[in-house]
Amino acid sequence: MTGPSPGESMILAGLRDMLAGITGRAELAAAPPQTALLGPDGAGLDSLTGTLLLTEVQHRFGVDVAAEDLSLDSLATLGTLATFIAAHAPR
Amino acid sequence: MIKCVVWDIDNTLLTGTYLESGDQPPAPDAGLVEVARELDRRGILHALASKNPPEAADYVARVTRLPFAAAETGWGRKSEAVRRIIDELAIGADTVAFVDDDLMERAEVAAGLPEVLVLSPEDAAEAPGWPQFRPAVLTDEGRRRGQLYAQRRLRQDEARAFGGSRDDFLRYAGTRVLIAPAAAADLPRLHELSVRTHQFTTAAGPASEADLAGWLGSDRYRLVTARLSDRFGDDGLVGGVLADTGEPGSAGGPGRTAWTVPLLVMSCRAMGRGVLDALLAALVQQAAAAGAAELRVRCRVTARNVPLRLALAAAGLRASADQPSGEDQPVVFSRGLAGPLPAVPDWAQAANS
Repeated sequence: MTGPSPGESMILAGLRDMLAGITGRAELAAAPPQTALLGPDGAGLDSLTGTLLLTEVQHRFGVDVAAEDLSLDSLATLGTLATFIAAHAPR
Repeated sequence: MIKCVVWDIDNTLLTGTYLESGDQPPAPDAGLVEVARELDRRGILHALASKNPPEAADYVARVTRLPFAAAETGWGRKSEAVRRIIDELAIGADTVAFVDDDLMERAEVAAGLPEVLVLSPEDAAEAPGWPQFRPAVLTDEGRRRGQLYAQRRLRQDEARAFGGSRDDFLRYAGTRVLIAPAAAADLPRLHELSVRTHQFTTAAGPASEADLAGWLGSDRYRLVTARLSDRFGDDGLVGGVLADTGEPGSAGGPGRTAWTVPLLVMSCRAMGRGVLDALLAALVQQAAAAGAAELRVRCRVTARNVPLRLALAAAGLRASADQPSGEDQPVVFSRGLAGPLPAVPDWAQAANS
């Protein structure tokens, strides 16, 4: 198991900034990749903040996660979302 | 249907120009204010978009005594101000009317936001007689809508200034979600929700009051409501869910059934306040307690109901691998009811049926 690719590391850093900005919780700027995104633990995104995150992801990385992932399984953790974006980003 | 009227201030809601009138700002236009008040009684929201300092919006709110759901002041493009209001209120551009005395501003908004209904003040004076300003259903929540959105602005200002997590803010605000079986008196409001909601609905179209009454009277279906309040105000009935519990008498038996949800709706005003989390958690728990093995939600997937899909994902519901093909078919999201279940949040209370 190797670490995240350089592209994925940049995506992770971008996602952390978005999370901290959207939730107003500065500590999320240093959240580890295994941080859960939805539900009461972890980042605690709900339908409002989750929609804001997906809108920003589309704007910044060009990936429409909601259209490409019906179940939104990619939102399990910060790391799974970064991997999904890296795999679907336009080249 | 128009849900919100965005008003210009200078020479529209006011009988002059705010910044050119010295110490005594101009009086409000009594005729237009009366039109706005009539629309407010019909549950239509009002907002301000003005090339003025923020004080102008405060002045208009004070002298007209109208509840404004949003106010955009500044010197940017009016179409961008209207776009921000649409995003803030989470409504569709085709449900917004824009009123301005300035022909250039009307042309700029019409070009930038072609779905918006653009009106001169003279047109707006006639608007109460037009069908798109006459809601088909009007409930208590509808009549108080303007006031509820004004409370929402105060709540959002406090939430922005609050440092902790969303759940901490919900507790701080004294949020109460009450989940209870529907009663006959709830049906007009549930129908209204199914008509008005596009971002938080699983269904393609509205559920009629007759449909709702049929489900309410059936042993096989459970129709459940969610009511929301906090110290900023009482939002009343904001959500509903319908569950088909399978064949009567089979629940808990050896051939355990699935609960299937054909309809789940929530007011977009309640977005971000924990209502869907509470409603879905209560439903999962009730289905498990009734002995069901699985919870399924049939949901049409549209570009607009992403917020609802996020709530389904947060409650552990996943799209099954084998889905019906075809554009118009709803997708089935499901989860098992064994193992750890999502907890009903501490600000919510579920009354048993």
